[in-house]
Amino acid sequence: MTTFAEHSSSLTARGDERTLGAIPPVEYGLIRAHVFASLVTVVISALFGLLVATKFTLPEFLGGHSWLTWGRLRYNHTQGIFFGWLGNAFLASFYYAVPRLANRPVFSRKIGWFLFVIWNFAVVLPGWVLVLAGFSQPLEWAEFPLVVDAFVVLAFILMVFEFVVPFLKARLSDLYVSAWYLIGGIIFTMLAYPVGNFVPELVPGARGAAFSGLWIHDAVGLFVTPFALSIAYYVIPATTGRPIYSHFLSMVGFWVLFFTYPLNGTHHYVYSAIPMAAQKGAIVASAYLGMDVILVVTNLLLSLRGSSGTASKDVPLRFVWFGVISYLVVSLQGSIQAFMPINRVIHFTDWVIGHSHLAMIGFGSFVALGGIAHMWQHIPGTRYNERMMNWSFWLLATGLTLMITDLTIAGLVEAQVWESSAPWIDSVRAVASYWLVRTFSGLPILAGFLLFWISLVTGPRLSETTTSAASRPTAENNAAYENVPEFSPEVQPSGWLSYAHVVAFGAGVGFFALSFLVLAILPGKELADQIKRVAPAAMLPLTASEQRGRVIYGREGCAYCHTQQIRSLAADVRRFGAPTEAWETKYDYPQLWGTRRIGPDLSREFNLHPRDWQLTHLYNPRFVVRDSVMPPYPWLFSGSANQPTQEALDLLAYLQSLGRARRLSGFDQQTPAMSATTDTSVDMAMAGDPSGRATPPTVPIAMTGGISDSAPVLHPSSNPYDLQEEISHGATVFAANCASCHGTTGRSDGKASASLLPKPANLTAARFSDERLSSVLWNGITGSAMPPWRQLPTEDLRALVAYIQSLYVAGAQPTTQAAANPEVGKALFTAACASCHGGAGAGNGPVAGTLTPAPTNFHLKQPTEERAWEVLENGVPGTAMPPWKSQLGEFERRALVAYVRSLYGTPQEGPKQ
Amino acid sequence: MINLIMIAISAIVLALLLLWLLWPEFRVWIEAPKYFMLRQVHRFNHADQRSRPDANPGNPE
Repeated sequence: MTTFAEHSSSLTARGDERTLGAIPPVEYGLIRAHVFASLVTVVISALFGLLVATKFTLPEFLGGHSWLTWGRLRYNHTQGIFFGWLGNAFLASFYYAVPRLANRPVFSRKIGWFLFVIWNFAVVLPGWVLVLAGFSQPLEWAEFPLVVDAFVVLAFILMVFEFVVPFLKARLSDLYVSAWYLIGGIIFTMLAYPVGNFVPELVPGARGAAFSGLWIHDAVGLFVTPFALSIAYYVIPATTGRPIYSHFLSMVGFWVLFFTYPLNGTHHYVYSAIPMAAQKGAIVASAYLGMDVILVVTNLLLSLRGSSGTASKDVPLRFVWFGVISYLVVSLQGSIQAFMPINRVIHFTDWVIGHSHLAMIGFGSFVALGGIAHMWQHIPGTRYNERMMNWSFWLLATGLTLMITDLTIAGLVEAQVWESSAPWIDSVRAVASYWLVRTFSGLPILAGFLLFWISLVTGPRLSETTTSAASRPTAENNAAYENVPEFSPEVQPSGWLSYAHVVAFGAGVGFFALSFLVLAILPGKELADQIKRVAPAAMLPLTASEQRGRVIYGREGCAYCHTQQIRSLAADVRRFGAPTEAWETKYDYPQLWGTRRIGPDLSREFNLHPRDWQLTHLYNPRFVVRDSVMPPYPWLFSGSANQPTQEALDLLAYLQSLGRARRLSGFDQQTPAMSATTDTSVDMAMAGDPSGRATPPTVPIAMTGGISDSAPVLHPSSNPYDLQEEISHGATVFAANCASCHGTTGRSDGKASASLLPKPANLTAARFSDERLSSVLWNGITGSAMPPWRQLPTEDLRALVAYIQSLYVAGAQPTTQAAANPEVGKALFTAACASCHGGAGAGNGPVAGTLTPAPTNFHLKQPTEERAWEVLENGVPGTAMPPWKSQLGEFERRALVAYVRSLYGTPQEGPKQ
Repeated sequence: MINLIMIAISAIVLALLLLWLLWPEFRVWIEAPKYFMLRQVHRFNHADQRSRPDANPGNPE
């Protein structure tokens, strides 16, 4: 770009050692302290991550104690990487770079040590402990509780004094791009952090989510990216001994990054209730950012031109090079992910988790590692062990590549299942093997970090006055340094140019403020107006118990696997119900929309599962869903699912309140014009999909249960050979989906049986017609834990019918051998049973409509004599069926048994049950 | 609104490009820091190689 000749003709010479003065002191003690803290915390954070990953495969591993549950470890994993690892690594780099770039020492050593203590002993350590103890904030990248956030803000204020003031003392026209990134990162993170952490506590639901989205992106864009790029822009020329390709391009890249990064935030909520103008703005800004990253990376790679030999030999430079390539890939990936056709497919999947790891490890961590290694070679008395450093690089690179590839594919697999009508648990099963690989990929990453640490402490011991060969500038580099003029080529800026940096910085702050205005404040105002316009007049706030449950929901990290935002997409609506609207979230402080789905969305949980199912599921999810990877929460119970503590009941109350406002308000029965989501721009995805509806159901048909006349009757094959095949297949489907409740042999002795009321049916104790089984499988049984299974393929449902019918143990003997009189039985039935079961025993008596579960239709279900006798003696707990032992004698009961059994297969009248 | 912002950013970038193309003094001025940075790296490296670890204790306070 610009040549030395150009400089020489127009420069005012200034800046050899006499002009620049003495070398300013460098706080090497603080560098060592922060490097040590960063390596301790990265190993702990990686261990948290490894545990989190392991729990996907072994969900009950260390699951008995609240401090080691998935959600809390997950919070600490990301916050540890953010504050503990990257925060300390960046701080170390500041102490190294600021004296060099500003030609001034940092502001104060005392403030430096105070900052070190604040950062590690008022932020990282107490943050971890508080999260494990259950005090946290369920917001992405903002999980540490508010009391810790206050210290983070204090730390950033101290950073301004420590690292920004030296640059203000220096002449601004000397500022190298690394300094700009350093200053920009500190100032803008200091401004963005409170907005992302405190505002969602004050602004509810969708409006708060707009602010959260900004911080989610700013955490990467204003903290990780600037500081990592600051290191990259330093290490590359410092290692090669040649200036970067173009400082002009680096400054264009810097400002466009700071202008556009904050505008990206809402791309985390595409297809949500946030106004479409903000969503589109974020998408456009994302594309713009992608172009900027190409510019930045091109400039950095051109700065390495002709240095391939150095890059292959110098491990710190290799770390940085890997980080720069990762930066390009992850940024382009991010831009593409924001585009609606891509976003609708991959959002909430493991693809995004892979993307996050590529950003935080591939880019941020690799550059930070390169920076630390580079510093270590230049700090007096410290050198790394080159062999181990090499191993560290390759372990990290291999582990990360495996992890990203694995998670990316897993995301595509999840997306494919979610787009289909398959049950949700199928997506969990489909990626189980990928989660296992991901866990193993974490091992080399953890080993890589450990080896990096070891390499720093096992480097060659240097005498105080010598330098190792590894750290000595190579001949090539020395030659390159010698090409730099003896004076510092610098222009004395004149006129307005001398204020250019100030103007640029003012513009940066202005754009930053503008991002909040455009993506949070204005959309928030629009949402507030919309809420006033469309929200039902009577919207119940949460009760005290539900409020407490909400806190537990946040504390345990439920929002990190279950979203509470149904997007305006046909696939979402089919599976979960009507898209979430802003007014539904007006009491959500802070919002719990979530950014990831491992379990299903819970926005419409109201009336979806009965109380006993919910409690059993919370106590141990695998009791009711065999292949669930949800963590168990035994500390919410006193020893069994039947003994919930108040905390479990509070959480249950909260779960059962989700979607209640919408259901009870009759919102969906109002005119479509009342619905905010009928805005065609918001609903554009559904508009193009034939299955999309202008006023979609509040709760999806596939999950509600209830009787449907349209349930198909599935007849097993009449061919014995085919029937055997169906039974065999049915056994497999049964084991995967039904055995948790009904037991492996269908005798109602599954793990969940003890805590479900009514108990799951003993499938060996009754003969079921094709029609009855088809109806139950299609609709579930309202008032019981039996869900509808119509998402299963028809061949699976038919196979289940065949298998369940094969379980019937014919010939079970009644407890009495006395002969029964059918006429007596009929008379007794009419007198005692017909009000519920109907005169003809079709389950359609006058009061049947008020009972859940519905009374048995004996034309479609024939209990064994033993079972019928047991029911008459003891009733059916959890249903309206009472025991008749005290009212009816043995003879009468026997007559009733014979009568109800005789009805099976006979023609019935009235509505089918 | 967002369109205006993106147009504004594009205009700023375009203006900077024009400045760079048409004004040599700007070109020299904007590139200067990369040489200053390199000199500083060189100075500090030599100082570090000359110094004992304890001879550079940091900011005396």
